[in-house]
Amino acid sequence: MYFESIEALLNMSGHGVYVWSSVAVTLAAMLWLVSAPLLNHRALLKEVNRDIQRQQDRELALKATVPTDNHKESH
Amino acid sequence: MSRLSNWLPTNWQWFNRLGSPRWFYHRSERWLPWLSLAALLVLATGLVWGLAFAPEDAKQGNSFRIIYIHVPAAFLAQSGYFIMAIAGAIGLIWKMKISYMVMKAAAPIGAALTFIALFTGAVWGKPTWGAYWVWDARITSMLILLFLYAGVMALQYAYHSVDAASKASAILALVGTVNIPIINKSVDWWYTLHQPATIKLTSAPSMHMDMFMPLLVMIVGFYLFYAVALILHTRNEILRRERKTSWVRELATAKAGG
Repeated sequence: MYFESIEALLNMSGHGVYVWSSVAVTLAAMLWLVSAPLLNHRALLKEVNRDIQRQQDRELALKATVPTDNHKESH
Repeated sequence: MSRLSNWLPTNWQWFNRLGSPRWFYHRSERWLPWLSLAALLVLATGLVWGLAFAPEDAKQGNSFRIIYIHVPAAFLAQSGYFIMAIAGAIGLIWKMKISYMVMKAAAPIGAALTFIALFTGAVWGKPTWGAYWVWDARITSMLILLFLYAGVMALQYAYHSVDAASKASAILALVGTVNIPIINKSVDWWYTLHQPATIKLTSAPSMHMDMFMPLLVMIVGFYLFYAVALILHTRNEILRRERKTSWVRELATAKAGG
């Protein structure tokens, strides 16, 4: 290591505040760039499932309101 | 544009397959673990090397270590802009659906990287120039880059039709490429506080090898990271736009069951 101790590495002869705040903000932004789409991915798949469920419910409801007997009589 | 597509090749098999969102979605699932692992390893190596092992700069002291994130972020902010603009152009010429999705995905990633470059540059400016912000040609043109990315993102939501939004964004992205050479040349054309380029393709680096190697590692790491982020964002865009198709529905049901 270039520095003599961990404290020297953190302090960086007075420049530590600048260097480490830059690193922290960069890592936070990069983490967001990959975590946001991963969370979004799960939400999107759930949304598709909800759409499928809603469509199935609608089809079932439609079958229930139109009894098959009436359907035959009308013809 | 449509006449142009008549004589440009469109019948290459790989080209068509790559253009299929479904193919890309499934294939990229296999790429992601390897790319992510590589990005993580390379970035960790470069960061530890640059922050803890590289020697300090004779003039700037330890504040120069910000270079190990500032330069790769600025590099990818510009490369990412080209990727976004080229994806937009491919969309306009060949009407390839996936390229518009890549273009849309590239915008927030590029914006975040531009923000990183501006932020770390400002923090670096304080101990080096005595000011967080100066209206310098390089910094101003990078700020314009951020606005261009933001413009492409905003245009995506300015239209009801996805197709119109994609076309408008692609045109803005293409027009904005004018800014890239301005960013690159700004340190030569104007008298600026910003130091000249550390890395040039045409000449040896203006840096000692002990300092330069970790920078190179970090640039490779940022490219790998960019690839991961772009694939993740593109896959979501595929799901969003293809959610009515049977393959996405089957995929969602399978994921819910398992």
